[in-house]
Amino acid sequence: MIRSAFENIRIAGIAAAVPKNREILSERYNDLFGEESVRAFSKTTGVLERRVAKEEQTASDLAYVSAKHVIRENSVDKEKIGICIFISQTPDYRFPSTACVLHRRLELPKDCIAFDVNLGCSGYVYGIQIISSLLQSTNCRYGLLLAGDTLNKVISPQDKSSCMLFGDSGCATLFEKADRPTAIATAYRTDGRGFQAIITPSGGYRNPNGSHERVKWADGNERSDYELYMNGVEVFSFTISEVPAMINEFMEDSRIGRDSFDAYVLHQANCYILNQVAKRSRLPKDKLPISMDRYGNTSVTSIPLTLCDRYGALNEDGEKRILSCGFGVGLSWGIAAFTVNQKEILPIVETDDFFKEGAVSHD
Amino acid sequence: MEESKKLALLEEAFEMEEGELKADMELDGIDDYNSMAKLALIVMMNDECGKQLTNEQIKGFNKVQDILDYMG
Repeated sequence: MIRSAFENIRIAGIAAAVPKNREILSERYNDLFGEESVRAFSKTTGVLERRVAKEEQTASDLAYVSAKHVIRENSVDKEKIGICIFISQTPDYRFPSTACVLHRRLELPKDCIAFDVNLGCSGYVYGIQIISSLLQSTNCRYGLLLAGDTLNKVISPQDKSSCMLFGDSGCATLFEKADRPTAIATAYRTDGRGFQAIITPSGGYRNPNGSHERVKWADGNERSDYELYMNGVEVFSFTISEVPAMINEFMEDSRIGRDSFDAYVLHQANCYILNQVAKRSRLPKDKLPISMDRYGNTSVTSIPLTLCDRYGALNEDGEKRILSCGFGVGLSWGIAAFTVNQKEILPIVETDDFFKEGAVSHD
Repeated sequence: MEESKKLALLEEAFEMEEGELKADMELDGIDDYNSMAKLALIVMMNDECGKQLTNEQIKGFNKVQDILDYMG
């Protein structure tokens, strides 16, 4: 696995935002799919409700609100933010990079690196590596890691395998060059042979004439070529073998005991998967925070959202050693271990705000 | 592993009653052999037999006997 370590970068703040629209699965889907079916889904996945963005609200809107929150709470001089990265599978436009749109909205300085990264459930731990590397090698003080997904916009309402699973959300994490030693340690792997396991096949340039009509796929679900497909069995098989193997290898390599961490924040894929990963990685269950019961599988945001859910209300000092692990679309997976003061983890914000100037303009 | 033990493990994975599963049954005809059962099959194969199971391999199973053979 690819390993890296940073000793002079610290996480100075974490914020997350969700849409106000709360959708309770039993209320929304019992009539559509049957009470028994919805109950069985919730029992397996652990998802009871989630947040769904309105049509005009994008992932970047949720990341924007999070960023404003974290900048304000930290009283950051925005002129010193030299890196702005946005990680998402649901950007505002095909181009430009949504990071550039956020750069403008946040009024960041011209002396700034801004770009997008297309990753999903592993995206947050990848972002930690990218931003730490950039901070270490540049002359700026702060970096902003922004991320979000509104996957409900690309899921067929007739796709029983996915339409009840995902929640929309966004997040922002502020990184700062530290004046005292810190320890961010990371590890990564990719297996592109599984690129079709989670895919939206049209919408890019490989299949420009895909069908917008929903048809029944081999898994029995109806979706168009522009909507998300997930091969649940393949993703599950990959996750329960590769993810625990990486966690175990990381712990052995680092010579760290499992009691060294205050929390193991795993991507909130679904409860059944998490229990299997935890069992195979010998992770203590009482250190495994869960947010997907109320927010669903929140893709790239699930790790920071779970942190905000767990620690956001605790407004007192307390260093927490966190092991985070993201895995999914790609197939791609990684680990980031870091220390953060719980006081710098902010409570989840609810918002329906959106960027009105982002609409199509023919001027 | 004895066949009766293997069948019992499969019944547990598929949440079926004891003695309900027969080696010559077609998997397509078993109501309980749903997507959840396939996940449980992957877990059971890993835990009890120490074997990985991919989606392609699962698709290749037609009868219960095919799974029993793979369990070894």
